[in-house]
Amino acid sequence: MASFDLVEPRSLEEAIGLLDPEDPAVRPVGGGTALMLMMKAQIYKPQRLVCLRRLGGRLSGIAWDAAGSRFRIGALTTFAALEHSPEIAAHLPVVPRTMTTLANVRVRNVATVGGNIAHADPHLDLPPVWLSLGARVLVIGPAGERTLDVADVFAGYYETTLANDELIVALDVPVRPGWRSTYVKVTTRAQHDWPALGIALSAAVSGRVVTDLRLVLSAALDKPTRLVAAEAVLRGAEIDDAVLRRAGDAAVAETEIVTDSRGSADYKQHLLRVHLGRTVRSLMESGT
Amino acid sequence: MSVRALSGRVGDSVPRVESREKVTGTVEYIHHLELPRMLHGVIFRSAVPHGRIRRIDVAAAAAVPGVHRVVTIDDIRSVIPNPYYGPAFHDQPILADGKVRFAGEPVAVVLAADRHVAAEAAALITAEYDELPAVLDEVEAMTSDVMVHDELKPAVTFPDLKHLKGRRGTNVALDYRLRHGDPETAFATADHVFEHTFRTQQTMHTPMEPFVTVADVANGRATLHTASQGPSFVRIEIARLLGWPENRVRVRVPYLGGGFGGKLYIKLEALVTALSLLVGRPVKVALTMEEQFYMVTRHPCTFTIRSGVNADGRIVARTCKVVWNGGAYADIGPRVTQKAGFTSAGPYDIDHVAIDSCAVYTNRPPAGAFRGFGAPQTAWAYECHMDMIAAAMGLDPVAFRRKNLLRDGRPQASGTPTDDAALDIVLDDIERRMNWAAPFDRGSGRIRRGRGIAIGFKGITAPTTSVAIVNLYADGSCGLYISTVDMGQGSDTIMAQIAAEELDMDASLIRVVHPDTDVTPYDMGTLGSRSTFHMGNAVRRAAQDARSKIAALADELGLPPGSNLPLPEMLKKKYGMQAGNIIGTGSYIPDYEKPDTQTGRTRMGTPFWGVGGTGAEVEVDTETGELTITRLISVVDVGTAINPKLVQAQVSGAVIMQLGATTLEDMIYRDGHLTNGSLADYKIPTLLDIPRDFVNVHVDTEQRTGPFGAKGAGEISTIALSAAIGNALADAIGVHVLDLPLTPEKIFYALQAAGGRTVTGA
Repeated sequence: MASFDLVEPRSLEEAIGLLDPEDPAVRPVGGGTALMLMMKAQIYKPQRLVCLRRLGGRLSGIAWDAAGSRFRIGALTTFAALEHSPEIAAHLPVVPRTMTTLANVRVRNVATVGGNIAHADPHLDLPPVWLSLGARVLVIGPAGERTLDVADVFAGYYETTLANDELIVALDVPVRPGWRSTYVKVTTRAQHDWPALGIALSAAVSGRVVTDLRLVLSAALDKPTRLVAAEAVLRGAEIDDAVLRRAGDAAVAETEIVTDSRGSADYKQHLLRVHLGRTVRSLMESGT
Repeated sequence: MSVRALSGRVGDSVPRVESREKVTGTVEYIHHLELPRMLHGVIFRSAVPHGRIRRIDVAAAAAVPGVHRVVTIDDIRSVIPNPYYGPAFHDQPILADGKVRFAGEPVAVVLAADRHVAAEAAALITAEYDELPAVLDEVEAMTSDVMVHDELKPAVTFPDLKHLKGRRGTNVALDYRLRHGDPETAFATADHVFEHTFRTQQTMHTPMEPFVTVADVANGRATLHTASQGPSFVRIEIARLLGWPENRVRVRVPYLGGGFGGKLYIKLEALVTALSLLVGRPVKVALTMEEQFYMVTRHPCTFTIRSGVNADGRIVARTCKVVWNGGAYADIGPRVTQKAGFTSAGPYDIDHVAIDSCAVYTNRPPAGAFRGFGAPQTAWAYECHMDMIAAAMGLDPVAFRRKNLLRDGRPQASGTPTDDAALDIVLDDIERRMNWAAPFDRGSGRIRRGRGIAIGFKGITAPTTSVAIVNLYADGSCGLYISTVDMGQGSDTIMAQIAAEELDMDASLIRVVHPDTDVTPYDMGTLGSRSTFHMGNAVRRAAQDARSKIAALADELGLPPGSNLPLPEMLKKKYGMQAGNIIGTGSYIPDYEKPDTQTGRTRMGTPFWGVGGTGAEVEVDTETGELTITRLISVVDVGTAINPKLVQAQVSGAVIMQLGATTLEDMIYRDGHLTNGSLADYKIPTLLDIPRDFVNVHVDTEQRTGPFGAKGAGEISTIALSAAIGNALADAIGVHVLDLPLTPEKIFYALQAAGGRTVTGA
């Protein structure tokens, strides 16, 4: 590891000014849990790291918006803060539930919500949850602010649509009364592992009918992806084995799952069929 | 004054002596060691699995500011003319010499005062190779045209390898044979003959403390500070490489952060010594977790086992053909091949046995000693085979084993009696704890349940020597000088307890002096469950020697017989002040008879038998192949436990480790390259993977030749574990998976292939 500059700007404007739109060796760093590993492995060799920790006050925290219909979560909010927030637990219980399967206490104490999204590793557990909840991110760059769906941040395997001098500053997560959400992390090796598949489902249920839903697959693809064809099979349908089988077939047909160390493509497609059905059923049976 | 009971005697579960230092982070590890003027070495490794080196370009690396020197084999040769090392074969070059034999083999080293600079520079080295075809599979390597080595170079220290010297045109590095009776004739008359082939995979020791060595060669002396399980061997081998007498080489070892067999014999030490000699400064090489995958591994193994069984359930004949994938360098693989080959017919009383066990070279990272020394691989085969026979013949697996089990000291296939091997007691205990006679609900829906048992044994590397020194100081306190390495197993505590028992003192008054070959005497190595037995016997003899010297002193001082004058008073009487020592020495080498080279027969092939049994209950999700081990009972025979709590920790630790090899771990290659050489992709068990019902116990027995009835415990619970789980899985799903590890995907496709019992998708 060669030497590099570590700068700690005091304002967002200063931070953006220190970033470089052209130079990939200049990057922002939040909790650093992913970036440090890449640096240690010499996969990433920085010239300059723009450390965001001095911006924490403005960019961290969890608050309701004025209308009380969505949470605004600052980009530098740690996973631990989300995990232990009573408000999040009450309104988005899927988030603290997901935390229990994610990394470990030391990582959760420093990893940040914004950095997690910007990292764009398809195996991460929270991005599919944010997609299923319909979250949006607020991004600031030299040209000003813009908002986009979390789904639109991801361009591919470890790739985002963000410019090198843009920063995620907040995440807006809608709270949909009457909807339930779940995240299923399917591991095929040790219990504590990167997922072979992540399935995030948020749905409105009436009796045995799924009236509306957002269904997301992660880990088995190069980025977390909504399964729109499977959603179409399930939306408005009364759930039974035949519907779930058709939804599984649709999910397999609309995705390109590849072989990796967590399983062959065939096996993971099979797991997708099985776990998609189980996920829907467990959501129907759960109260939240 | 009240009389306090002496603590830390044999049988007491006293806490480990080093616990406080470890928990408070003050214990010494070599990773923390910094010496003045020390350079750090970072290794550049081969990118091809097999090839002749055309050229190595180090110019860019050497030009990096802060780089002291870049070293290749040509430089090494200037200080060590014949730079090949290894315990069984002198086949491993200190750095690649003209040829690379596995992807990841060390080719060059960058030295710099700053490790990060060295790492940065190492990444700038390039090498060009004329690639050769590679052979990775052990069975293929038996007959392949691809030769990993041009010529076999056995070390003189292994006389039984002498016949292999200079042999060319083969990858077979050892061909162990055992012949007992006439199996072929017996097969012809047996009622049934069964044959199955089993495979195990390559795994890595994964110590949390990666390999690390600091060498300081100066003024005609070499001092090594190293994380090694075998300081005495390191001294001998470094002295041989340098052509120096042993007394100019000093090897010291503090605590280890795990070894498991990986840190045995010679690993980084040859390279780091050569580097220090070359530059005249202390040098440290500390591997990363990822680099450990290229140092040493556990042998993959292909084992074809054939048994003749009569209608009454008696096994009348058995043949074992075992092929061990030793990787590119032999390391101690030939010994693994021989020792595990020796017991590969299992703990059964069979009249006709033939065993052929071969070590082969391949283009993989080397394989060596690994907790169990090959016994878990062979037991995977012979114990799954037992259940497959039982199922085919409609026999109860426990009853079938009991009928054939070696008992009452009956000789094992080699002719060595199974004295003090509690096979029947262990089997009975597992059966009882598993409640085997009770009905078992296997389920009928998506979740199927099964249970299985297995039992295995191992011989212990022989003959090996341990030497101990007990030093009683003038105040009556005691130093115990031994070269046994405490790598987490608790040997410091055990040895202090043995000495305390013999010296009739409190164990807390005994300080164990850590291995330092300038100070502590010879020990063959901390390996193969041998320390409690061998070093324990040596420690006991040293303490007895000290006691007889105290008695002689009493005599000399004219004390009346039976005088209880404390030692400090006696020494004061003799020297007129607080001065002097009582030094007791002891050594131990067990009785041994070298096996006949043609038949493998010996009346004394092992100093004791390690016996372990496992019972497992599992649940299988038939839709996904997911395997959940719901109950795991391990029972071992360790003789008399010196410290029952430490025994239990050893048993459970070995179980968790073998659980990884059974269900998770597998070094996977593509085109000769390891694809999962990091902890992100090579998963070992965590606490979450440990079964809910997890029992680890030892049976109460006595090893009559052991210190206070004790024998080794470190590996024993690894032996039967995989097979018990494999048998439980087969009981649940009706089909045996023959290859480890038992991954959900493999189980799912085994179910698919078997048909019938699976329930597809939601």
